[in-house]
Amino acid sequence: MDLVRDLEALAEGARQSIASAPDDRALEELRVRFLGKKGELSAVLRGMGQLTPEERPRVGEVANRVRDEVESLLVRARQRIADDRLEKELQGSRIDVTLPGRRLLPRGHRHPVTRTTEEIVAIFARLGYEVASGTEIELDWYNFEALNIPADHPARDMQDTFYVDEAALGRVGGEGAVLLRTHTSPIQIRAMKRAGAPPVRVVAPGRVYRSDYDQTHTPMFHQVEGICVGPGITFADLKGTLAAFARAFFGAGTRTRVRPSYFPFVEPGAEVDVSCTICAGVGNRAGARCGTCKGTGWLEVLGSGMVHPKVLENVGFDPSAVTGFAFGMGVERMAMLKYGIADLRLFYENDLRFLEQF
Amino acid sequence: MRISLSWLATYVPLPPAEELARRLTDVGLEVEAVERVGAALDGVVAARILSSERHPGAEKLSVCQVEAGQGAVQVVCGATNWKVGDVVPLATPGTRMPAGHRIDRASLRGVDSHGMLCSARELGLSEDAAGLLILPADAVPGTPLARVLGIEDVVLEVNVTPNRADALSHLGIAREVAAATGAAMAYPESGLKQQAPAASSCLRVSIEAPDRCFRYAARVVEGVRIGPSPAWLAGRLEACGVRSISNVVDATNFVLLERGQPLHAFDLDKVAGAEIVVRMARVGEKMVTLDGVERTLSPDDLVIADRDRASALAGVMGGGDSEISAGTTRVLLESAWFEPTGVRRTARRHGFHTEASHRFERGVDPEGVVPALDRCAALIAELSGGTVRRGAVDVHPHRRKPLDVELPWARAGQVLGMPVSRKEARTALLALGFELRATGAKNGKFRVPSWRLDVTREEDLIEEIVRLRGYDAIPETLPAFLSDTPAQPHGALVTERARQALEGAGFSEAVNFSFVAPEDLRPLAPGGGPTGIPIRNPISADLAVMRSSLVPSLLKVLAYNRRQRVEDVRLYEIASTYHPREAGAQDDAPAREDLRLAGVATGRRHPVGWSAGGEPVDFHDLKGALEALLESLGIEGVRFVAGGATFLHPRSAATLEWTSPGGSAVALGVAGEVHPRVAAAFDLPRGVFAFDLSFPALVEAARLVRGHAGVPRFPAVLRDLAVVVANEVESRAVLEGVRAEPLVEDVTLFDVYKGAPIPEGKKNLAMAIRYRAADRTLTDSEADAAHGRIVERLKGELEAELRG
Repeated sequence: MDLVRDLEALAEGARQSIASAPDDRALEELRVRFLGKKGELSAVLRGMGQLTPEERPRVGEVANRVRDEVESLLVRARQRIADDRLEKELQGSRIDVTLPGRRLLPRGHRHPVTRTTEEIVAIFARLGYEVASGTEIELDWYNFEALNIPADHPARDMQDTFYVDEAALGRVGGEGAVLLRTHTSPIQIRAMKRAGAPPVRVVAPGRVYRSDYDQTHTPMFHQVEGICVGPGITFADLKGTLAAFARAFFGAGTRTRVRPSYFPFVEPGAEVDVSCTICAGVGNRAGARCGTCKGTGWLEVLGSGMVHPKVLENVGFDPSAVTGFAFGMGVERMAMLKYGIADLRLFYENDLRFLEQF
Repeated sequence: MRISLSWLATYVPLPPAEELARRLTDVGLEVEAVERVGAALDGVVAARILSSERHPGAEKLSVCQVEAGQGAVQVVCGATNWKVGDVVPLATPGTRMPAGHRIDRASLRGVDSHGMLCSARELGLSEDAAGLLILPADAVPGTPLARVLGIEDVVLEVNVTPNRADALSHLGIAREVAAATGAAMAYPESGLKQQAPAASSCLRVSIEAPDRCFRYAARVVEGVRIGPSPAWLAGRLEACGVRSISNVVDATNFVLLERGQPLHAFDLDKVAGAEIVVRMARVGEKMVTLDGVERTLSPDDLVIADRDRASALAGVMGGGDSEISAGTTRVLLESAWFEPTGVRRTARRHGFHTEASHRFERGVDPEGVVPALDRCAALIAELSGGTVRRGAVDVHPHRRKPLDVELPWARAGQVLGMPVSRKEARTALLALGFELRATGAKNGKFRVPSWRLDVTREEDLIEEIVRLRGYDAIPETLPAFLSDTPAQPHGALVTERARQALEGAGFSEAVNFSFVAPEDLRPLAPGGGPTGIPIRNPISADLAVMRSSLVPSLLKVLAYNRRQRVEDVRLYEIASTYHPREAGAQDDAPAREDLRLAGVATGRRHPVGWSAGGEPVDFHDLKGALEALLESLGIEGVRFVAGGATFLHPRSAATLEWTSPGGSAVALGVAGEVHPRVAAAFDLPRGVFAFDLSFPALVEAARLVRGHAGVPRFPAVLRDLAVVVANEVESRAVLEGVRAEPLVEDVTLFDVYKGAPIPEGKKNLAMAIRYRAADRTLTDSEADAAHGRIVERLKGELEAELRG
């Protein structure tokens, strides 16, 4: 039974050579050598022709066993080599995790004025206010007259006004002056007129314009104003609303102080201060006078008051039946306080190195 | 307004300055600053010179022993105008001099000096640098100099709002202090002594414009000697920031600051005809105002004229012709009530804002006109040695009726949201000078004091009550009504999505001024089209017109960033542009404002990194960003059609066209490379890309909530296709030709190639096509057939050749 011996020898040779094969390529060579069409197993089996019919099944059986064994040896050897390789990699050199991450595009950034406007508006939206907008080129009536600021009234000095060339708008004289709105209050007038009847609760964000350009003023800036008109609205509601707003915007510990002031479209009028965001209302930091609140512990941030009865009359509301409060704030100032921005010019230079910090 | 506390204290007892400041702020008179006058002299004390000897090493210096309250100290001095025994100012070591430097213990040529003896100039007190300031001999050594000089004072800077004309004086502030603290007021006596003959015998007054001058009262003071004011008067004025001029002029300013009533003194001998006519200016009439400027008057200007000509702009400024001068002996003193809006028009017309116009515009106390006149006449007589003629010439065509305002007792509580008792209301109003005229179960009727012209209705009374009581007393509540929480408006949602998409594509937001220079808009309107809406009174030529496009502002910001060496920049802005409105527009808005979304990009496509990057941005980067924007807004089927706008490169720009569900084509905007000449006009290189979209059009096209189509359940068949077409054939035509085959689910263009072996003038487009049927598994032969149909269509329609 030479063939059986040959098969056993083949198997033994395969066991040894497969066990010592170093890599996949060597394994593949061994597979071809033992199991290939022209390989050793085929060569042995070619000798089957000379066997007797009685011998054939036995030799065939051995041949099948040897083929199965060699095949499974190959499978296990491949696994061993893969495991060895992985193990080697797992123990090998590290990647440089400190190389900068690969980014297709840096993210763009939203302008701090927009961010701040959105924060303010979102707070009032949660309180149930609707957002209104309006045109920036306005009629004198909406910007001044309707707000109880008649022509030749000293209150007009509070807001140095830009006037628009009416001829360029195709207007003839006598239709009323056209100006750049000095506050977003005209939006409220239009909102009340549009609503037709109370209650009206709107916040009006937008660009406003005053002829003033220095360290602390830009000729264009942003405001958010709001109005809440309905039966039984009180000054206490004004205080509560603005105190809630201040806590939501500046933080839970923020205190508010309301003191008398004058805006022609409200009566009584009030200035609202919040406890200083820098020194927490103490007035000094590390023994030195706080520069942000000038040592007072308070920051002036909001103008407000009860809507003047003349304003209610001007939009067709009955001041004996409804009351309301109004408030307004400068967005740039709020942003400066919240983000600690010291220089107003930064807002309008649009230097990417500034914008990228928001 | 500056309020001197030493002056104020003569009318009402005062709490300490800081508390006073707080109390005034609490009643609505905001104190913006508390300034200690004389603080600049801190550290300077009176010192008596005990002895002196020549400096051993310097002929011009003396070594003095001085007594400054704590024993003798040695000081080296260079002045010579003193003698032993004199009292002089000593700046002690540590003193910060007005010029800014610090006095320290020093050695002058080997001799120790413990401070410096000072001249008036060194102390910032006057220009006198001739020698040491010699103080009164009875000054006690060691006393602070400010106290010795009697200039120790505290000045409050009070921000008086435009409604509070009554508080523009020391007496007005004193009234508020008295009301707030409950202290009693002491009104100053006029102390007027009159002598015959009557003023009316030498002066006539007539008012020709009674609707502009409600009252004109005048007195005559004779035998006046013009001279400097006494120190107390000059000091009062200076504390309030008013320059001392002469005794007569200072007296008018003193009464102005005391009572808020502007007065004017004329040299009666220069008043032609000894006659005052209060009249409107004549057309073309001219007059020289006190500032030396000749002005052409308007017929809307009220003037104080004599027989011949205008000699003052009523309530605003006097004239040069009748000015008080060193030789004046007879003074005509005017005290009047001018109609506020007229004064304001005149002041603005001629560019004035004077102490007088400031007060008349806001409305002075009509009942204070004559008391102020009497007070001032008496003061002039006292200061100048003159005598006051008997009686005032008082023309009073427009008598004011006192105003009574009813207050429903319950109303204050309703408006304020806290109980206000009848007693509280009454107490507050009476303290502020209101009189209770009648009281009923429901209402009280209050007479408004003459100086409170701002109080006209019940809301004004409520404010008076609450400001005196303090806003702190009002509780904090929230309005009690139900909110129906409206859905976020579509426009707001689109705005937020658009911002997020652009920021995701690397664009940061810029916020620019709405006004630009007309030249900025010109490169965008090469045909000489409109260049923005002009501002009549621009703040500068750079900010003179309302912009008709956002693009120039963004290009300027790009240029600015490049100057800062920031070169990879992508910016967007959402803002209005301004245009004349169309005829027949429905609303009453004076202009058309179009909201635009514009952006610019330049620099590198990706940041340069260690593995890749550095290629410049091109048109298709911009297009990719816009496609991402459109996708985020759910806007489908937008076509980029070649050709943009005049500010873009004619061969490298597109118009974005969207077809509405109704089938009409809507131009959303344009995108492309900025025209090289436009870029050059903004100091920018080539390779700047921009887009400019209509925001309302985006809002209209946006579909933020879309239906969905599930996921395919049957497998797809993938086939590649490469065709050669002429260069002019747009890729869109090829892709549309592919998509026209119904079995095509998607096609991706993955290569565009020109060059050998492709013939000149042609390009090869390589595409991956995905075929799929929704209802069955597609067979290879079906896919092959579809592929074949596509090839035939492209051959037929675009003369495409198939590439192996």
